[in-house]
Amino acid sequence: MDDGLRILCLAMIIAVVCFLLIPIAVTVVMAFDARAYLGPLPPPGFSLRWFRQFFADDYFLRGLGTSLQLAAAAITISLSVGVATAFAIDRARFPGKEAAVALFLSPLIVPPVVTGFALLLFLAEMGLVNGFARLLAGHIIITVPYTIRATLAGLAGIDRSLTEAALVLGATERQAFWDVTFPLARTGIVSGAIFALAVSLDDVAVSIMLTDAHTYTLPVALISSMRANFDLSIAAASVLLMLVTLALILALERFVGLNRVIGQGVFR
Amino acid sequence: MVGPQPATPDAVIEFRDVSKRFGPTTAVDGVSFAIGAGETVSLLGPSGCGKTTTLRLIAGFETPDEGIIEIAGETMAGKRPYERNVGLLFQHYALFPHMTVAENVAYGLKHRHWPRTEIAGRVDEMLRLVQLRGFGGRRPGQLSGGEQQRVALARVLATRPQLVLLDEPLSALDAKLREELRLELKQILATVRSTTIVVTHDQDEAMSLADRIIVMNRGRIEQQGTPDDVYSQPRTPFVAAFVGRANWIHGRISGEVTGGYARLVTDRGSRLAIRKPPAIAAEQWSVCIRPERMAVAGPGAAAGRAGDNLLPGRVVDIVNMGAALHQVIDCAEGRMMVVEPNRGAAQARKGECVSLLFRAEDCVVLPRVAG
Repeated sequence: MDDGLRILCLAMIIAVVCFLLIPIAVTVVMAFDARAYLGPLPPPGFSLRWFRQFFADDYFLRGLGTSLQLAAAAITISLSVGVATAFAIDRARFPGKEAAVALFLSPLIVPPVVTGFALLLFLAEMGLVNGFARLLAGHIIITVPYTIRATLAGLAGIDRSLTEAALVLGATERQAFWDVTFPLARTGIVSGAIFALAVSLDDVAVSIMLTDAHTYTLPVALISSMRANFDLSIAAASVLLMLVTLALILALERFVGLNRVIGQGVFR
Repeated sequence: MVGPQPATPDAVIEFRDVSKRFGPTTAVDGVSFAIGAGETVSLLGPSGCGKTTTLRLIAGFETPDEGIIEIAGETMAGKRPYERNVGLLFQHYALFPHMTVAENVAYGLKHRHWPRTEIAGRVDEMLRLVQLRGFGGRRPGQLSGGEQQRVALARVLATRPQLVLLDEPLSALDAKLREELRLELKQILATVRSTTIVVTHDQDEAMSLADRIIVMNRGRIEQQGTPDDVYSQPRTPFVAAFVGRANWIHGRISGEVTGGYARLVTDRGSRLAIRKPPAIAAEQWSVCIRPERMAVAGPGAAAGRAGDNLLPGRVVDIVNMGAALHQVIDCAEGRMMVVEPNRGAAQARKGECVSLLFRAEDCVVLPRVAG
C-alpha cells in the first residue's frame, strides 16, 4: 500500500473512532459535573452528585431492578429455547427448513415498535395485564433470534466428521453430543447470551409499549424522566449502564476468548 | 446373479454382493471382496467410484440396501458404529480441537472401557509409536499437518481395532511431507500388524502402501490384484488408464500368428506384433503400452528381433522432469508419451523424426471400448 492511501485509511479510522467515542466521552465528563445545572463544557469542577442523586431516586432504582430481573429471566428462557431450536435446525433435514429458519429470525426484521404494539394488543386480548409478564414476553421475542443465530453460527463451524470420529471410537450418539458438539458450540452459545443481554438491557421501543405504572425498565425510566425534568443524573445512569455492560462483556470475553483459542481448529 | 456367495473363512472383513443406493444413483453396486488378517488392501478409484461409500458402510455410517457385510465372521447388520471394532483415520484427521493430544488418543480407550490405570500407559505407548512423545499436553491447533496426522493415527490404533480404515490418508499434506509420511505410515502399520484398508484416488499411495489393490469404478470392482498385476496386467481399459499412464494404439487382429505373437493391424494400417489377446470375442482391439516400456530410436532404426515393433513419429516436446525425460511423440496412430531415465544429453530433439521402439511383450491387449 502506498503512503497516501495509508494516511487516508488512518484518517478514516481516527474520524470513525472520534465519531463513536466523543459523544460517550462528553456524557462521561458531564456525569461527573459538579454544577447543579447544565452548563458549557468543560465543567469547572467534578463531583459524584449526579450519581448520589441517581441512587437517591426510587424511580430510577425501581427501573434498574426491573431491568436486571427482566434481563436475567429473558436470557435464561431465550437461551434455552434458542439453543434447543438451533441444535434442531442444525441436525434436521426437512422441506421448508430455510423458511423455518427465516421465521425464527423474523423478529430481527420486524421494527421493534411494531413488535411491541402487536404484543400489547395481543396480550390485552388474551387478558394478560401483568407488567413484568408482558415485558418478559417482549424481551424473549426480541432476544431469541440472537441466541438462535449465534448458536447456529457456532454449530456451523463443527465438522460432521468430528461426531463420526467420536462414534467410531466407541461413543454413543448421546456421548458424542456432550463430549464434542456441545463444548464446541459453547462459544456460539455464550456470544448469543452476550447479544441477548445487550439487547434486553438496551431496549426501549418494545419495552415502552409494555410497561405499566409500576413495572418499567431503566431505559424507559430514563426517557420519561428526560421529558419531565432533564438533569445530569441521566448521564450518571448512562455511565452506570456502560460500566455494567463493559464488566459483563469483559467477564464473558475471558470465557469466550479462551474458548476461541481452543476452538481454532474448528474453523480452519 | 447367482445369489450370495459362501463365506470366506478367516476373512477379517467380507463384502458379499453389497449394494448401496442414494436416490437414483447406485454408489456401490454388487461389490464382493474378502480381506484376510494382516493384509493391507487399497480401494483405488476416481471420486464418485464408490470407495468412500464402501468405507462408510464398513464403519457403520451407512447401511447397505442389499448384501452382507461381515467383520470377523459376524454380520454387521444393525450394528451402530460404536458397536463395531473398526478404526477410521479421517481425511482431515477430525481431531477434537477442544481436547489435548493425550485426551484425543485416550478418547477411544475411555469409551471402550479400558481400566483407568492402563489408559495413561497406552496413550504414552501410542505417542511413542508415532514419534510424538511429550506432545500429550498440546492442542491439535498447535500442531503441524503432519503431526496432526500422526496424532489421528495414534488415536485410531490405540484401541487395537480389528480393522483399520484410512481415508485418503496423505492427501491433505504437501508433496514432500506426503513422501516422508507414506514410509512412516507403512512402517507403523507393519509394526502393529493391523488389517488395513486404504481408500485413495492416488495410485502412488495405493501402490506403495498396499499388498493388494481393488480398483473401483462406478460402484463396481474393475480389478483386484497385487500392485504389479494391476499395473502390468490391467484387465480393462479403465484400469489401464487410471493406474499409471498409458499409450493407446487401436486396430484389428489379423489372425496370423508369427513366432508366438499375434498381429495387430492398426487403424492406420501399420502391422504390430502383440501378445496373444484374451479369449474374448471382439471386433476392435486396443493395445496399451506403458510410457517407460517405449524407447525413442533414430529414424532409420531396424527391428532387431521378432516381437520388436517400430513406429515412425516426430518429437513434439521434451520435458525434463529431473530424474526422467518425458518425450511427447506424434505418430500416425496418435500422440505417445515416452518416459526414459535422464542420462544427460537427450537422444532426440524437438521436431526431429524418430522411431518408437517397443516390444510385443509390453503390449497389453484389451477389447476396445467405444468413445
